[in-house]
Amino acid sequence: MSQPIKCSLCEEAATVHLSQVVHGNVTKVHLCESCAQKGGATDPAVFQLADALTTASPAPTLTCPRCGFTDIDFRKRGRLGCPSCWGTFADALGGLLSKVQHEASHVGRAPAGVLPAGQLRRRLVDARCEMEKAIAAEDYESAARLRDEVAELEKQLIAS
Amino acid sequence: MSSVEDILAAENELTHLLGAQQAVVLSTRIRLARNLEGMPFPGWAKVPQRKEISDRCVEALDALPKFRRGHVLRMGELGDRDRAVLVERHLVSKELAAGKSGAAVISRDQTCSVMVNEEDHLRIQVVKAGWHLRGTWHIAEQLDDALGGSLKMAFSDRLGYLTACPTNVGTGLRASAMVHLPGLCLAGHMDKVSRALNQDGLAVRGWLGEGTEAAGNIFQISNQQTLGLSEEAILKHLGGWIKNVVEQEWNARRKLAQEEGEKFVDRLARSLGVLRSARLLTSSEAMNMLSHLRLACDMGCLPEERRHLVDRLMIEGQPAHVQARAGQELDSDGRDRRRAAVVREALKDFPELVSPTA
Repeated sequence: MSQPIKCSLCEEAATVHLSQVVHGNVTKVHLCESCAQKGGATDPAVFQLADALTTASPAPTLTCPRCGFTDIDFRKRGRLGCPSCWGTFADALGGLLSKVQHEASHVGRAPAGVLPAGQLRRRLVDARCEMEKAIAAEDYESAARLRDEVAELEKQLIAS
Repeated sequence: MSSVEDILAAENELTHLLGAQQAVVLSTRIRLARNLEGMPFPGWAKVPQRKEISDRCVEALDALPKFRRGHVLRMGELGDRDRAVLVERHLVSKELAAGKSGAAVISRDQTCSVMVNEEDHLRIQVVKAGWHLRGTWHIAEQLDDALGGSLKMAFSDRLGYLTACPTNVGTGLRASAMVHLPGLCLAGHMDKVSRALNQDGLAVRGWLGEGTEAAGNIFQISNQQTLGLSEEAILKHLGGWIKNVVEQEWNARRKLAQEEGEKFVDRLARSLGVLRSARLLTSSEAMNMLSHLRLACDMGCLPEERRHLVDRLMIEGQPAHVQARAGQELDSDGRDRRRAAVVREALKDFPELVSPTA
């Protein structure tokens, strides 16, 4: 079965379906009962489809100073413009990341020479914890590998 | 510089018995997404910027020992069929092949291919035949280190490697296994397995990746999350699930073989019969029947050493491969005729099936 069409303005199921032809372009909008009422869609004389659609996509509020990419571009493409966009849109992306990702901060590899002290410490804590677990589980092969990793991290932390 | 013809002619792990082919897991793949610091992502970059990105990346890749005597292929310089061949071999994605400004740098043995100017500046991919998660990861890690020596990658302390899409940020790592699951499909359990995998953060896709059907009962299982988990944790999570799926697949196969008895072998033997005598063979028909032959090899109904030939036919039976081998464009009937001829020839001395031993 196909999914019910959702209202263009909120997440409710749409029951009012409108097509409007403006300068030869067909625009379609789907609305739920209450949004249709609010927008006056039940009275074609006063309803302006274009207005309903503009409310749904307002003017850009954020622009990346480095590449000119805006929040509207992101909404359209789902991709960012450049690495600096991650800083520009940090707040807006936070919510999205918490939905699609495991946690909001990186715990993996880093380019050689840029592993910062904070991350080193975090990895050190994780590695020690995993080592203890491995010992408890009598998985000595993993424990030995983790012991070497802990030693290496401690060395790097002193050097940093 | 070499061409797509060289890639087709060369023997490699996935099409020839060079690596150890395995039951159930066809191949292991690691992908790392990386971007150059200070450059717009390919989808937002202007043409001259994309050219600069491509030049810098290709130069750095070309200098690595791993790509010595390999292939540098610029999408804009290739014909439609050559690009389709690369997609069918999983050496490049459909997205890369569709654009003009992308390039692929492929190692001589075809285990490493780096896409330049796809969604990210660099997509490092390593593929090994069979299930070799650690080995595949180590090659990717070494490549990443080597490239990091000559290119400065976009990286943030908090978010890790910065990518064009929020679903890749952090490790940029997508680890996956291509698995052949005829047992679970025949038993009607595949939906249930897919749901369980989805719920635990793994994606299940068809054989050619995102949005494709699972032709030949082949699925690609990969991690979805890339941020907040270390590479080690991602690999461990995927590894645990693959082990589990392989076990379930074997259980389903043994149960089917036991319950169906002669019917089980009959089904597989009929596929061999059709493949050996058909005059016209569509791509999906060939895939589904070759899936039966692969199952027969795994179960001891056919000699195991024939499995690599089945794997090769699955790859070489795809439309662009059939045309490339024929050396000409063919219409749909022409392709089906040619595919049938190639398969008939390859299977002509295949032995008859025996009862399962696995």
